[in-house]
Amino acid sequence: MIPLIDEDACTGCKKCMEVCPPLAITQEEGKARIEREFCEECGFCAAACPVHAIDMPFPKSGASPSG
Amino acid sequence: MDYPHIFSPGRIGRLTAKNRIKYAATETNFNTQDGFVTEREIAYLSAQAKGGAGIVTTQGAYPDVLGEGKGFRGTMSIAEDRFIPGLSRLAGAIKAEGALSALQILHCGREGGVDLGYCLMPSVVPQRLSYFKPPREITPAEIRRAVKEHAAAARRAVAAGFDIIELSGIVGYLISTFISRYTNKRQGEYGGETIRERCRLMVEILGAVKAEVGDRVPVGIRLCGAEILEDRGGNTVDESVESFAIAEEAGADYVSVTVGWHESSISVITRDVPMGHWLWVAEAVKKAVNVPVMMAFRLFLPHIPEAAIAGGAIDFWEMCRPMIADPDLPLKAADGRVSEIIPCIACNLCFSRLYYHQPIMCTVRPSLGHEGEEEWGYHGFTRPKRRKRIGIVGGGPAGLQFAAVAARKGHEVTLWEKEASLGGAALLAARIDEGDDELLRPVKYLEGECLKAGVAIEIERECTEATLAAAGLDAVAIACGAGFAQFPSVSSLNPFEIIAKGKKPGRAALIIGGDGVGLATAVYLLRQGDYNLTIVERSGRLGRDVSPFYLWRYLKLFRERGVALLTKAEATPGPGSTVYISTPKGESVIEVDDIIVAIRQTPEDIGREFSKWVPEVYVLGDAKRPRRLHNAIHDGYRLGLQL
Repeated sequence: MIPLIDEDACTGCKKCMEVCPPLAITQEEGKARIEREFCEECGFCAAACPVHAIDMPFPKSGASPSG
Repeated sequence: MDYPHIFSPGRIGRLTAKNRIKYAATETNFNTQDGFVTEREIAYLSAQAKGGAGIVTTQGAYPDVLGEGKGFRGTMSIAEDRFIPGLSRLAGAIKAEGALSALQILHCGREGGVDLGYCLMPSVVPQRLSYFKPPREITPAEIRRAVKEHAAAARRAVAAGFDIIELSGIVGYLISTFISRYTNKRQGEYGGETIRERCRLMVEILGAVKAEVGDRVPVGIRLCGAEILEDRGGNTVDESVESFAIAEEAGADYVSVTVGWHESSISVITRDVPMGHWLWVAEAVKKAVNVPVMMAFRLFLPHIPEAAIAGGAIDFWEMCRPMIADPDLPLKAADGRVSEIIPCIACNLCFSRLYYHQPIMCTVRPSLGHEGEEEWGYHGFTRPKRRKRIGIVGGGPAGLQFAAVAARKGHEVTLWEKEASLGGAALLAARIDEGDDELLRPVKYLEGECLKAGVAIEIERECTEATLAAAGLDAVAIACGAGFAQFPSVSSLNPFEIIAKGKKPGRAALIIGGDGVGLATAVYLLRQGDYNLTIVERSGRLGRDVSPFYLWRYLKLFRERGVALLTKAEATPGPGSTVYISTPKGESVIEVDDIIVAIRQTPEDIGREFSKWVPEVYVLGDAKRPRRLHNAIHDGYRLGLQL
């Protein structure tokens, strides 16, 4: 899934831009922005973000716990 | 039949597999975070079974409710009965295609607890790799619980309809951490100086699982035959080999031999390791046991396992990566169509994505993970509404992949390549380092696909306005690759001139640009001779786009050869042979014989002139934006699907 950026949390430090293999992250008004066309959903940006402003949601089943 | 030994039936316990090929357990991150099997996983393993393997193994399912044994976010669970229906569908999908289905039970131990703040180990040995969780010592009560959980998991696997149960004790997983002297420092129970004492957990789990499933279901185990942890006080190879004999005594119906831990200090599965390199380990195990012996690990081409089976080194050929790249590998090998196999290039893109909690991807097979989605064309492409006349400018991986798909769909396709050989930038990449000639395999494969599909390939033919005017195209795809930036006002070299044209820079050379292309150029030069290199990279990171499986080797080489690596750095020309370098630490001047500009670029308006001649213009691969091989191939494939 394409990374989701929490714009309130993003400090504009550009760490994500530095690790993005296809250079698919730009900055607009001091916030990281993903170019969807080039994003390969690798998750490097989420791992590099020092303030955890990037989330890559992982699918859950929604099944209720047993017992 | 080219491979009579591979395609002879093989016994596993009381079962007979139709051939000696086993798709080995492979994590995918395709399943849900709460452990349920997904449609995506089912379609993927169904494709693996359809491809002709005698045995198809599931990924390792974790057996505990807490997820202490869970290594990856999308790993499937076998910890509770509510997971049985999904697992049952998986077993059914494998068996419906005529393969034996094996369910692997995997407690990841030192590599577990992916969603927790800790992992379990026999003794606390600090982690070396940042992905893994801080270890906590497993208590005797937890050990007893783990044994019971493995047995309960085996019961569920049988209930789900699997034919074979497999246990895994490799690379840092729970069983292996008990077996290895490196990670098992326990005094008394489950620890000890002898390999037999350290194998106690493995023996108890095997015993409990065998007691649970009885004689009707074979139980195998994957163990490490050579840990390559000598520098950390790991087991000797003799001890590791003995662990297989102990597993056989404990009731294992087959053994699978693996090599290396995830924290071993040498390469085990990268291209620099020649194919077949690790067969000596399997051979040593084979001499120590009487049950069938299997192995994966760089056995990419069928003639290698064929000889190994014939020579008695192994009984079964296991594969993960080669069959990720092409699930139909067994069928193609059986038909003698080896050149049609989509070739794994050991880039480990699949593997590295797991560590970032992402589903696996494959450089050479864009349809990976989309086998169940008709529009991805894994089981055949849908014909387009209108047959188009398509031209492709450039015969690198992007152009070739696009050509192959477009022609297979029924379009009329012509491809122009101005150089004498197809391959584009892959031809350069293939000359960098030991084993990189394997990067020519996908080029060869794609050329074959193009020819089979009827693409007209014109070599040494530059596409000019006249070509376009004469061709009467409906669509053109520009896949001519990227060029290189120029260093202002002085003469410089670029990687193409050096690697393809053989120009030799002077001994003191400055490489501007530290992404994959700059680093590859440095590796190429260092392999050629004695160079005094400086690499200048504008960002804070070297090798941003290089696979971590290869980057560490390159950086090690640079350290050994004294390469100056400067990040957040800029180079500007100075008088004579000098260059000013500015970094956050200050300015300096260096003298160089040559400047190599390894920054790729492509004109913004690259498609504009073409639109005068052709209604539809597409740009793909490095021509669109300079990136990596997988981007080129995926760009080509996706455009092919679209048209």
